[in-house]
Amino acid sequence: MSLVINFLTHRGAALLATWRIWRDTLLFAAHAVLTAASPAAYNSATRTVVMKQIYFTAWQILPGFTLFAALLSFVLIQIVVTTAAEFGLSDYALEVSMRLLVLELLPLITALFVALRSSSAINTEIALMKINGELEALENACVDTMRLEFMPRVIGGMISVLALTAVTSVLALVLAYLAVYGWQTWSLSDFSRVMGKVFDNAVLLGILLKSLTFGLAVTVIPVAEGMATPRKLFMAPISVLRGMVRLFFVLMLIEVASLAFKYI
Amino acid sequence: MADAAQRLAFLAAHSAIARDDIALVSPDMPLRANLSVLDNIALIPQYRANLAYDKAADQAWDLLVAAGHQDCFAKRDPDLSHAERCVAKLLRAAIGQPPIILIDRPAMLLPDTHYPPFLFALLEKLAEHLNDCWIVDYQWNQPLYPAPHNLTRP
Repeated sequence: MSLVINFLTHRGAALLATWRIWRDTLLFAAHAVLTAASPAAYNSATRTVVMKQIYFTAWQILPGFTLFAALLSFVLIQIVVTTAAEFGLSDYALEVSMRLLVLELLPLITALFVALRSSSAINTEIALMKINGELEALENACVDTMRLEFMPRVIGGMISVLALTAVTSVLALVLAYLAVYGWQTWSLSDFSRVMGKVFDNAVLLGILLKSLTFGLAVTVIPVAEGMATPRKLFMAPISVLRGMVRLFFVLMLIEVASLAFKYI
Repeated sequence: MADAAQRLAFLAAHSAIARDDIALVSPDMPLRANLSVLDNIALIPQYRANLAYDKAADQAWDLLVAAGHQDCFAKRDPDLSHAERCVAKLLRAAIGQPPIILIDRPAMLLPDTHYPPFLFALLEKLAEHLNDCWIVDYQWNQPLYPAPHNLTRP
């Protein structure tokens, strides 16, 4: 009997801990968004941190990531165009490849790439700041850590994901045109008609919201996980591990929710 | 201070009374590791007085020059000597011009230095920029201090 009680107590404690971290993450996200919406939250220091975040998250990786996205887009467009031609469905090739790439794959891949590169760094940095007492030192100097350290990272992350998604999507559009119509310009009106059919206002709003939600997730989850790190150095890798796993599931959840909203 | 408990109680009591009026220089209050010394000091007026970076950096530079440690302005925390780190922490506290600066356990801030003369010389150089400065140290370090500065019990 005591074995059962011990097991249930242990599971209950673990469940409560999980619940607490999700609750804290949601509260932190709400706090960060509300702070970001207040013009008073911005000063020269926060602007510098936002710019640095955009530089490290988006600008530094732009050439490599754009090249990768172009290659991936080109291969997938070719597969869709060839397969559609084999089934006599060439008329739908452009629309299908755009739905596949711009609406689904590119925003998700961008978020995953940013998560791998920047979220892990943010999680580690915040965890180490917490462990070393740097956050406490800033608070002691009457510096609001939400304004200086957290909110600018959230803003920078959201802008970066949005910008990278936009750049790769435009590139995919160009590549799709070239794959379907070749190196000529007289099919631009046909292309525009198909694009107009695929990207109506609701769809564009959906991409925007999805990218912003991805951007919010890739910054809020690592920051919240870093802040929840106990002040013990050996907990830093565990914090990053937890943060990345939670981030992966959240990104997948957002994608599944977006698919379900659109297609079910 | 007779022991750690008394020291902590003293710090807690003063923090509770007037947190905004007291700036703490302590081994437990590290610098931001990914910012240079200059940026660590300039951060305070950027936040508290909404100063532009250039003006805040000018203020920080003036303090570094006054302290005679301008050579370390571009270094980050891991590259600093104990003395440079202590100076950076003191200047970070001083730039907000608080009524009181508490220097907590200087022996831990300056483990390789005969710290009372170093601190008094530093405070002398920064006299124009400081209001009150209290050193919080243990009683067993009292013999290290020259007679006029002997510690008094709280």
